[in-house]
Amino acid sequence: MGATLTNPLRVGLRQERVIPPQCLVIFGASGDLTHRKLIPALFELFRQRRLPSEFAVLGCARRPWSDEEFRSRMAEALAPEVKRHQSAWDQFAACLFYEPVDLQQPADAVRLGTRLEAIDKLKATRGNRTFYLSVSPAFYGSGCRSLAAAGLLKDPSRSRVVIEKPFGTDYASAEQLNRVVQSCGQEQQIFRIDHYLGKETVQNILVLRFANTIFEPIWNRNYIANVQITAAETVGVEERAGYYESSGALRDMVQNHLTQMLALTTMEAPGRFDPEAIRNEKAKVLQAARLANEEEPWKCCVRGQYSQGGSRVNPVAGYRQEPGVNANSTTETYVAMKLFIDNWRWQGVPFYLRTGKRLPKRLSEVVLTFHEAPVHLFDAAGGSPTANQLILRIQPDEGAGFVFEVKAPGSGMRSRPVDMHFSYDESFGEPSDEGYVRLLADAMLGDPTLFTRSDEVEAAWRLYTPLLELIEDAPWQLPIHPYEAGTWGPGAADNLLAEEGLMWRRP
Amino acid sequence: MAPQLTLQAPLELPPDQVPAYLETLWSQGLKGSTGAATFSLVVWEPSWLQQQLVRTGRLDGPISGLLSEELLEAARSAVTDCGLPPSTAPSAPELAWALGQQEGHHSAPDLRGQFVDRAISAHRPRRLITLAPTLTADTPLETLVAAYCPLPEERGSGEDACGDVVVLRGGMGAIQQGLAILQPLIEPDLPCWVWWNGSLDESPEVLEALATPPRRLVLDSSIGSPRRCLDQLVERIATGQAVNDLNWLRLRSWRESLAMVFDPPSRQGALQHVVQLDIDVEGHHPVKGLLLAAWIADRLGWHLETSYQLPTNGDGEGIGAEFQRGDGESVQFRLMPVPVGLAKTHPGALVGLRLICAPHGQAPLCVILCSESGGCMRLEAGGVASMELAEEVVPMPNESEEMELARLLGGGHDTTNPLLAAAAPLAAKLLPE
Repeated sequence: MGATLTNPLRVGLRQERVIPPQCLVIFGASGDLTHRKLIPALFELFRQRRLPSEFAVLGCARRPWSDEEFRSRMAEALAPEVKRHQSAWDQFAACLFYEPVDLQQPADAVRLGTRLEAIDKLKATRGNRTFYLSVSPAFYGSGCRSLAAAGLLKDPSRSRVVIEKPFGTDYASAEQLNRVVQSCGQEQQIFRIDHYLGKETVQNILVLRFANTIFEPIWNRNYIANVQITAAETVGVEERAGYYESSGALRDMVQNHLTQMLALTTMEAPGRFDPEAIRNEKAKVLQAARLANEEEPWKCCVRGQYSQGGSRVNPVAGYRQEPGVNANSTTETYVAMKLFIDNWRWQGVPFYLRTGKRLPKRLSEVVLTFHEAPVHLFDAAGGSPTANQLILRIQPDEGAGFVFEVKAPGSGMRSRPVDMHFSYDESFGEPSDEGYVRLLADAMLGDPTLFTRSDEVEAAWRLYTPLLELIEDAPWQLPIHPYEAGTWGPGAADNLLAEEGLMWRRP
Repeated sequence: MAPQLTLQAPLELPPDQVPAYLETLWSQGLKGSTGAATFSLVVWEPSWLQQQLVRTGRLDGPISGLLSEELLEAARSAVTDCGLPPSTAPSAPELAWALGQQEGHHSAPDLRGQFVDRAISAHRPRRLITLAPTLTADTPLETLVAAYCPLPEERGSGEDACGDVVVLRGGMGAIQQGLAILQPLIEPDLPCWVWWNGSLDESPEVLEALATPPRRLVLDSSIGSPRRCLDQLVERIATGQAVNDLNWLRLRSWRESLAMVFDPPSRQGALQHVVQLDIDVEGHHPVKGLLLAAWIADRLGWHLETSYQLPTNGDGEGIGAEFQRGDGESVQFRLMPVPVGLAKTHPGALVGLRLICAPHGQAPLCVILCSESGGCMRLEAGGVASMELAEEVVPMPNESEEMELARLLGGGHDTTNPLLAAAAPLAAKLLPE
């Protein structure tokens, strides 16, 4: 008899925190994100019985849809899921409503308020609301202003605003946007999403560090020689050329996702598991981070752009050949850099960050490499002993690994490295929730732990300001190095580490 | 978490004036506020144990309806004084009954319904109605009313967060008379929860009158005769009413611990080869153990063949059963009462669970869960040392009834948890007639 696919005793047990009655209002409900991520995540929460019966989703966009049309469009977009769980969908769909709203029109925001009051009465949602701005970033500020002007944000305990990335395009614009949204509501009402923080393994960095006593004593410059943080994608720019051309890898990945991984890896232990305590520590460590050479930032950063690659049978287009991309584009699809953190824990430890598109593997990981043993007593199979490494795998094959030396079998005393391996799949056997499931639930619960606070966002932008200014003012000093699609980025990136006698990990 | 008193001293009114008073209060006294658009909560709060402990001078007042540490301590010493078995749980109705046979004329202020646990008040109930029967059967009906609004810093800017508290207090006859004014007090447009915070054996007509669908019922299947508890659960779930059982909720850590053992895919195959399930419970109330067994059987697709009474072991009769697995093999089930020195708060608390899996061609796997290491010893006997052994001590949940209730109110489900809906009928069949 074959093994069961999932643990039947686990079914229905994942309902530790139940979302309070409320109405989730999605602006940009006719857009991609709504039917690709948000509604599937909500339907998953519904099937996990984590949504209360006093719950409603109000989709808002300019299109003149009715409630019924919104429901049928969502059902169409989620067809395979709906087919598998038809009766659950029928119940869930009864919670979906739609209101044509243009947030730039004050009258529309007032009408929205009236509709929400009607929904409160119909579904007993208690005036509790989460507003999700899934709209163009250009409308984040004006959207918040319209909601505030209509009085929809005046109760901080019962109204929240979720804002998608990117939050600003540089330090100045992020600061300005923060000023605007904070003039509309209190900081506790603002939930800035970084979907990387919704990943189980990113959250596990906190648990691994602060629920175990063995790591903390060695989690510092005395034991750790360097840290590499990688987020590699195999895909190219796909249909996002319009957005990507103006952002590039630095804004699209480094300022948010990689920086969040950096913060969680390097922050001090919070005094308690409390959103503000955690975010204080993250903000503090980001404020202490700096480029390895701020005076001459081109010496600590390498930009690249993928060129044609693949095989004769499966050729892969270069970035400049992608639809919607300028044929002379200087947008980076790869970026690698070296940072330092000027505090007691991390002084002198180099942090290497890299991300890129069209790399050989899709993976995200944090690798902490420890100092070598002070004396080499044994011959090593590889010439010299391998330094211990702790590898936190964010995706795929989520888990952790620890590389250490053991005695190689045989009569001599030669050492060789082995890998001790923890895998989420092998230990738990259940797939983790999609990041949006976790983040939507947390926003509706009013738990901001996994959302980015204003000072974190500003600190992250400030960290990369010398690079952004250089790209703006003197781009020739930070040239774009081409790399063949399907390789680990430009050779110039290796030079960042070579001066320390290091190499990028080949995962 | 310290309970909160209502901010305003309750006003005593003749029962027939309560609806009109509340209407006037909201339309004039609290002008501009329509009250919190949340839910109504009706609580059956007999607190017989607390009343009897106070009457017999074993506990100081006031009578609050809350299971405080002092109350539990007084109840545990009363178990011995009343000559009841040490495994009698403080909240077992037998204890209150035994205390009722003792002399005593002490009294204390009765503040039932006026203490609102912060966990519950945080959900801003629109109306909290407490039915508080007194020991003296002929006490006339008293009705108390108080309105409250959260402090400005607690409520944000909304004025519509206010609620009110209504207490109906008196002898059983008076309470039944009070049911007539109850109906108009329940807001028809808001969800209504009924918390039956007493034995399911008592006052069936009051339960019937209070817990009419679509009101959401919260009960405790550990309090009352096992047959009546399970039948109530099954009947009400069958009507489609949303039923929440605190006894079932207290199984959470046991279900989680057992699921955790089988999370690694390498162990999941063993679940298809279970041959024996043993559950030990405190005292003679088997419902919790039966619900756990029924949940396991339902999740693993077992079919119940037969159930029977096992001979007494001095602490009560055990229950045996035979299930058939999906592949036709049989699974033996035994539930045994075991003696304990210090009983948990509620009757029938779980002491241990043993699950033996015998996959073909592999070493058998024995999973033992217990509430404390002492509880494991009986289950470790019988040659399990020769098997692959997985043992866990199940953490004790440390939450009050009010916290559990608050979690339900926060969640606001209008249907019964499907796992409970599937387990309850099977548990009822497992209990021999």
